[in-house]
Amino acid sequence: MHRRDWLKGTSASGLALVGSQWSSAAEEAAGISARFPTLAEAALGKATELGASFADFHIMQTDSESLFVREEMVQGVNAGSSLGGSIRVLVDGAWGFAAVDILTEARVVELAEAAVAVAKGQAGWRARPVELEPLPSFQGRWEGAIDVDPFSIPLEEKVECLLGINRSALGKGASYCHSRVSAVRERKWLANTLGSRIEQSRVRMHPAFSVTVVDPKKGEFASRNSTLPPRGSGYEHLRDWKADEEAALAVEQAKEKMAAPSITPGKLDLVIAPSNLWLTIHETVGHPTELDRALGFEANFAGTSFCTPDKLDTLQYGSEIVNIFADRSTENGLATVGWDDDGVKTAGKEFPIIEEGVFRNFQMAMGQAALIDRDGGSNGCAYADSFDAFPIQRMPNISLQPGADESVTAEDLIAGVEDGIYVDGHGSWSIDQQRYNFQFTGQVFHRIRNGKLDGMYRDVAYQGNSVDFWNACDGLGGAPTYELGGAFNCGKGQPQQVAPVSHGAVPARFRQVNILNTAEESGKKVAGLSPSPRPCGGDTPLPVA
Amino acid sequence: MMKRPEIESLCEKVLGLVSADEAEVWVSNTEDLQLRYANNDITSNGLVDRARLSLSVSYGKRSASISLNQVDDSSLKSAIEKVQAMAKLAPEDPEHLPPVEPGEYAEPLTYSEATAGMTPENALARIRPVIEQARAAGVDSAGFLERSISGSALANSRGLFVYQRSTDVGFSLTARTEEGGGSGWASTQVTDADKLALDPVGARAIEKALASRNPVERAPGRTTVVLEAAAVRDILGLLSWSLDRRGFDEGRSFLNSLVEEGEDPVGKSLFGDKATLFSDPLFPEAPCQTHSHGLPLERQAWIEKGTLKSLSVGRFWAQKQGIPAQPGPGNLLMPGEGHSLEKLIGNVDDGVLITRLWYLRMVQPQTLLYTGLTRDGTFAIQNGETAGPVKNFRFNESPVNVLKNLITSGIPTRTLGSESARPTHAPALVVRDFNLSSVSDAS
Repeated sequence: MHRRDWLKGTSASGLALVGSQWSSAAEEAAGISARFPTLAEAALGKATELGASFADFHIMQTDSESLFVREEMVQGVNAGSSLGGSIRVLVDGAWGFAAVDILTEARVVELAEAAVAVAKGQAGWRARPVELEPLPSFQGRWEGAIDVDPFSIPLEEKVECLLGINRSALGKGASYCHSRVSAVRERKWLANTLGSRIEQSRVRMHPAFSVTVVDPKKGEFASRNSTLPPRGSGYEHLRDWKADEEAALAVEQAKEKMAAPSITPGKLDLVIAPSNLWLTIHETVGHPTELDRALGFEANFAGTSFCTPDKLDTLQYGSEIVNIFADRSTENGLATVGWDDDGVKTAGKEFPIIEEGVFRNFQMAMGQAALIDRDGGSNGCAYADSFDAFPIQRMPNISLQPGADESVTAEDLIAGVEDGIYVDGHGSWSIDQQRYNFQFTGQVFHRIRNGKLDGMYRDVAYQGNSVDFWNACDGLGGAPTYELGGAFNCGKGQPQQVAPVSHGAVPARFRQVNILNTAEESGKKVAGLSPSPRPCGGDTPLPVA
Repeated sequence: MMKRPEIESLCEKVLGLVSADEAEVWVSNTEDLQLRYANNDITSNGLVDRARLSLSVSYGKRSASISLNQVDDSSLKSAIEKVQAMAKLAPEDPEHLPPVEPGEYAEPLTYSEATAGMTPENALARIRPVIEQARAAGVDSAGFLERSISGSALANSRGLFVYQRSTDVGFSLTARTEEGGGSGWASTQVTDADKLALDPVGARAIEKALASRNPVERAPGRTTVVLEAAAVRDILGLLSWSLDRRGFDEGRSFLNSLVEEGEDPVGKSLFGDKATLFSDPLFPEAPCQTHSHGLPLERQAWIEKGTLKSLSVGRFWAQKQGIPAQPGPGNLLMPGEGHSLEKLIGNVDDGVLITRLWYLRMVQPQTLLYTGLTRDGTFAIQNGETAGPVKNFRFNESPVNVLKNLITSGIPTRTLGSESARPTHAPALVVRDFNLSSVSDAS
C-alpha cells in the first residue's frame, strides 16, 4: 500500500482533530494541577485526623498510543488513557492503601477512611511496626527531556514508517514481518504529610519489528527481532532509527540462521553485544540487588536473592574490571525521574552496585535502609506503575560501565577469542528465584574463529551462575561502545506491577561459558556440528547492532 | 461499583454517540481487595475500584480503538471524537471484519455473593490465623490474597449485548525456614469464598518448607518426575497458547515439524494416549465467562487421548479458509486418573517430585521448547517414597514431550500458577524423561 492510497479519505481536519485530542489530555493535566492541592489537603487531612503518622496522596494520568502493522496491513491503531488517585497511610506502624478512578473531594476522603481502616485492622497482631526514616519535603516540578512529542506527530507519519519497515523486509524475502510502535506519557502528582508537593511528566517510546522466514518443505522457520531498545525519548527515537536497513539485515540474518550449523554444546568464550547484555545485567545484577527481595518481601512471587546483606562489601560479584552503577538520572533512561514515588529526590542518589567487582549497595525504597542498619536512607528506588498501585522498590537504571581503555571495540574483544560466539540481540531469558542459575538466548549467534567472525550458529543458549559469569568477564569495550538498552515491562510484586527500566552496557567478553544446544535440549536428534560454511579467517564485518 | 443497569446504559450511550459505520464497546468495573504479607506481617495492601471502557469503531475496513477509565459525558465525547478521527485516518485493513452478530450465551457460573460480600475485615480475619500458624511453626511466610469482583459487558452496533459478572479469590503463600534453606509453597483459587479454606493451604506450605531443608544435589538429566497440579497448569497453559490454526497454516508453528508437508495435525495422534485437554465454561470447579469477544464459548475438546482435536481459529482466518471460527479456551481442564499424590509417588522407583515451576520462557518455538525452574519444594523419589529434599533444577522441556511421556495422573484440582490466572483444573502427572537440564542453587 502506498502513502497516497491510505491518505484517501483522510483530511487535514482529521489530523488536526487527533492532535487536538492529545491537547485535551494536556488540558486535563492542567486541570488536575489546579485541583490537586485541594484534593491532597482533603485526603491527607482526613488521614491525619484518623491517626495516620504519615500519608501520601498520588494522582497518576497515563496516555498511550500503539500502532501495529502486519505485513502491509495496518491492524492496530489504539489509544489509551487512565486517570485516578490513591492514598497510602501509616497508622500505628501498619500500612493501609486505597485507590479510585473518581477524583472528587468526597471520594478521596472516603478513600482515606478506607485505607486507615485496613491499617487499623492489623492492630494488635503485627510483629514489627513499619518505621520510616526522616525524609525532607520538596515542592517542585520535573519533566523528562525529549525533542519531539510523539503524540504531536500525525498518525500517518508513524504508520508510514512501520509500513516502510515491513516493505523493506518483505522485499528482501521475509515470509512475514510485523512492526509496532508504542508511546506512553506518564504524569504524576504526589503530596505527603511531610509537606512535599511534586508534579512530574515523562514520555517513553518503543518501536520494534520481527521478521520470519519459512521453509515449508522442511517444516522449519526462523525469526529475527529488531534490536532497538525502548527509551525515555520522544519521537526522535523512531525518526532516527535506520529501521529499513535493520529490517533488510534481519531478513538476511534469519535466512543465514536457518541454514547455519547447529552448535556443539560445551564451554566457549563469548563476546556479548550491549543489545543482549542489558538483559543479562537486568536479571543477574538488577534483581539480585533489590533489598526488598533480599529481605523476603518478594518471597511469594519474584523470589529472594543470593545477594544477602552480609555480602555487602565482601562478595566478589565480578572480576576487577566490572563496575555497575545505578541512577535515576541517565538521559533518556526509562527509570529516570526527578523524585521517586516515595517523594525522594533522585539527583545525588546515584550509587555503585558493583565497584571493581565488589558488591557495594542495594536498591532501596523508603524505610528499608534501617532494616540493614545502613545510613543514608532510601536511594530513590520507589515506583508505582499505575494510579491504583502501592509504591514498591523498583529498579533504577543499572548500567555496566565502560572499560578503562576507551579505544577498545567489539572487534578488539573478538580478536582475543580463538573459538567462541558473538551474541547480538536479546532472545529468551530465565533465571531462578534467588538469581543463581540463568539461561539466555539471543537473536544472532556469530561464530568466532581465530579472532574473527566466521558465519553463524543456530540453536544456541548460554547458561551459568550469576557470580561465576561476572567473574569470568575479562574484557570490556570503551566508552564509545556504550549503548543504552532496556525494557518497558519488568514485572514484580503482587498484584504484579510493570516498570520501565534502562540498562547501559558495552560489549563484554566472558571466558568459558556453558553453551547449550536448544534443539538437543528439546529431545531432537542433532547431527554433529557441520563444517564451517565459510573459510576460516574471513573478513566478515560486524553487523549493525 | 457500577451494576448491570449502569453498565448497560453506558454501553447504549456510547453506541448512541458513535457515528462510525460500526462500533463495539466493552465496559468493565472491577473491585479488588488485596492483602499482601511478608516476614509474617502485612506489607502492602489495597482496596481498588476501577472502571474501564474500550471502544472500537470502523468505517468500512478502516478501524481504530481507544480505552479509558473516565466515563463522564465529557470524557466519552472526547474519546469518541478521537477514535473516530483515528479510524478515518487509518489505512484499510483487508483482514478487518465487522463486529460479531448477537449469539446465545449461557449464564456463567462465575459469580458468588459470598465472595462479593467479603470485606477487608473478613480478609484480615482469614489471613491472621495463617500468619500466626507460620509464626508458631518458626517459619517466615509471605503470601498474597486477592478477592476480585467484576462485571463486564460487550455491546456492538449489530445489536449484541452480553453482560457477565464474576468473582474469585486466590491465595498463595511461601513459607521459608531461617536455617537450612527450606521453602514451601501452596495455593488455592475459588469462585465462592464459602469454599475458601486458607489454613490447610498454610499448613501445606509450612510442611513443605520444613521438609525441604538442607537439600542435596542430584545429578541433572532426563528423569521421571511427579509434577504437582500447579506445575501442570503452567505447562498446559504454555501449550494452549500455541494451539493455533493460522500459525500452522503459515508454517510457523511447532506443529509444522510434527506432520509431513500437506498433512493436517488435527486428527493426528501427537501426544500420549493418556493426554486429554478440554475447556468448558460451565465446569463448576473452574468456570469462566461463556463468550470470547462475543463468540459463544462451549465445551471444546483440544486433545483427546493423545489426538489433537481442535485448534483455535480467528474470525478472519476462519472466513479465509472456509472453516468455523474457534475461540481459544477460557479455562483449561484436564481429567485425571484419580490417584492420590502418594499413589503417584508410589509408582516411581527413581525420580523427582516437583511442587511448582518458575520463570517459564519460550526457548525454541520450532519445538515449543520452554525453559524454567523448579522451586519451593523439590524432593527425590526412591522406591516409591519421597527420599529427602534435592536442590532445584532448571529444565528445558516441551509441553508436547510432557504429554507424550505422560505415564499416569492424579486427582484434578484448581490452583494458582506462576504465569497465568486463567482458571485451570488439572491433576498431578507422572512424566518420564523430563529434561532436568542443570542444577540451581536457589532454595
